[in-house]
Amino acid sequence: MQSDHAGHTGAGTDVLVAEGLAKTYGPRHALRGLSFTLKSGRMLGFLGPNGAGKTTSIRILTTIMEPDAGHFTVDGISHKHPDQIRRRIGVLPESFGLPKQMTGIEYLTYFGQLYGRTASDAKAIGLRLMEEVGLKQRTRSLVSTYSHGMRQRIGIARALVNDPVVVFLDEPTIGLDPRGQQELLGLVQQIASDRGAGVILCSHLLSEVESVCDDVVILSSGEVVASGAVSEVIGRTEQNVIRIRVPTAAMEDAQRELEAIPAVRKVVPAGGQPGWLRVELDEGASEDHPINNRILETLIRADIPIVSFEPEGGRLQDVFLQLTAGGIK
Amino acid sequence: MSIAADRGAASPSAAPTWWIVCARELRDLWVGGKAMSMILLYTVLLGIYAYLFASNSELSLLPLKQMVLEIVKAAIFVGLFVCLIIGADSFSGERERATLEGLLLTPTSRRQIVVGKFLAALSPWPVALAVAIPYWVVLSKGDSSLGQALLWGPLVGTLLAPAFAGLGMLVSVWCNSNKTSMLVSVGLYLVLILPSQYSGLATVTVSSQMAERSNVFQLLNPMGASSRLLHDAIMGSAPVHQVWPWVTTPALFPVVVLAVLIAYVGPALQLEGGMKRMRTRTV
Repeated sequence: MQSDHAGHTGAGTDVLVAEGLAKTYGPRHALRGLSFTLKSGRMLGFLGPNGAGKTTSIRILTTIMEPDAGHFTVDGISHKHPDQIRRRIGVLPESFGLPKQMTGIEYLTYFGQLYGRTASDAKAIGLRLMEEVGLKQRTRSLVSTYSHGMRQRIGIARALVNDPVVVFLDEPTIGLDPRGQQELLGLVQQIASDRGAGVILCSHLLSEVESVCDDVVILSSGEVVASGAVSEVIGRTEQNVIRIRVPTAAMEDAQRELEAIPAVRKVVPAGGQPGWLRVELDEGASEDHPINNRILETLIRADIPIVSFEPEGGRLQDVFLQLTAGGIK
Repeated sequence: MSIAADRGAASPSAAPTWWIVCARELRDLWVGGKAMSMILLYTVLLGIYAYLFASNSELSLLPLKQMVLEIVKAAIFVGLFVCLIIGADSFSGERERATLEGLLLTPTSRRQIVVGKFLAALSPWPVALAVAIPYWVVLSKGDSSLGQALLWGPLVGTLLAPAFAGLGMLVSVWCNSNKTSMLVSVGLYLVLILPSQYSGLATVTVSSQMAERSNVFQLLNPMGASSRLLHDAIMGSAPVHQVWPWVTTPALFPVVVLAVLIAYVGPALQLEGGMKRMRTRTV
């Protein structure tokens, strides 16, 4: 369904601009200098280990909490006007409850009315949203009877009742089976593309974020450790390590053969994983693509079976693990 | 119809949001069964009281007027307890059920949310009163005290019900856990009600100086003042001008509680409870 507001906020315009947001809880810095920009129609993955400051950031950006320093705007509206910002954002919190006595359509109508719509308008929009999120057949069912996946869908529908400019989705796929995760992420992508809304997606499913998000912000201990386009962020990390898996009995032979290659600096067994070798290359060697071929060729000539071969640092997960290695301070 | 008609403004024909919140709360309370089950419990409790009082009266252990006074007081004080408990669940309960965040994320003002919930929390009182009055009529057996009971009972209860619903909500705004909210509210209830019962005894057993002090204490305690008012009106058939001073505290109590709730605490309502957060935030 094409939203009416795509066009009000032009494609690619800044819908959320955060600058230097900070928050402390007593002596602990929960957030330090969070700055980023979200453009309309784009999806931004918001990542970080537990305790990195994601929830604090989301609560600040959704006006539930005030920042101690810094400022942000949503659709050009300053955070000093939280009621106006709330009219322009939609939020699916990580854990949200549903009333026991309401049907799906009553639930959406209620929230539509809280955004200032008449009951009939709110109901009509609710029905369209339920269709959009795939709950058309369950409009008259009590929300308490919904499955987990359906609850997430009605939560997303609720986040869209005001046709928001920015949608915050905090762990929308948590607890869903792989098919449910895929379907929900498809729905989220549709929100960004069809509605032209900027979407902030908090998730621990890094492979999913990598596949659906355009941009990414990685937080660690309350600080931004990486931000930008997903491909850019992945490209910034060290990629001079290759992980190779061989049969356990052939590990010593493989190690000896690989260490004989000039561009290989060190070969060590990958900790705790039998059969895996971690091959560290000389600086700049990873840019020389034939090195991969030479490694493979060496092993094949030595008649060592190759079970797996993968460059490290080429995925968002590697970047995430590398940048957030400090853990929670 | 445009979905995005104008994000900045509500439709002029839309219902006020306090009413939308109130309607939903009423539905939760009455269709969800919480208020209904409390009123059912209230009815059973009143039935037990009525049976005990009637038995005592039949055995000449309790004068008729005293019996009317006791059943009126029981009906009011238990009715207030129902309002208090429903008020105490209003925010801490939503926090526990994780439904408060959704509400706070809408552009509805915190004050309108508080007003809507307050009106819903008050709703058990008229029902409790409607349940209680037939008991009063039957137990009074046509005695002249019934007129006084029907005049002062509903007045006192209607003054105090908003105060107790509001008091429960004040506690609930500050508490993250529903259990804490309930315990604190019950504690406050006991703090208010127990001295009022004790003071009543003191006036007849101690010196006049002590009785005077007790009167002052009773006057300051809304429950004590209410007890005394009902006692003088029902037992002594005191005229209005004599019992009027005892109305002052029950009339001021709701004004103070609601002023604090709606003017100060309500607008500072947050996702998390606690005094510190309340002081530091004004979004």
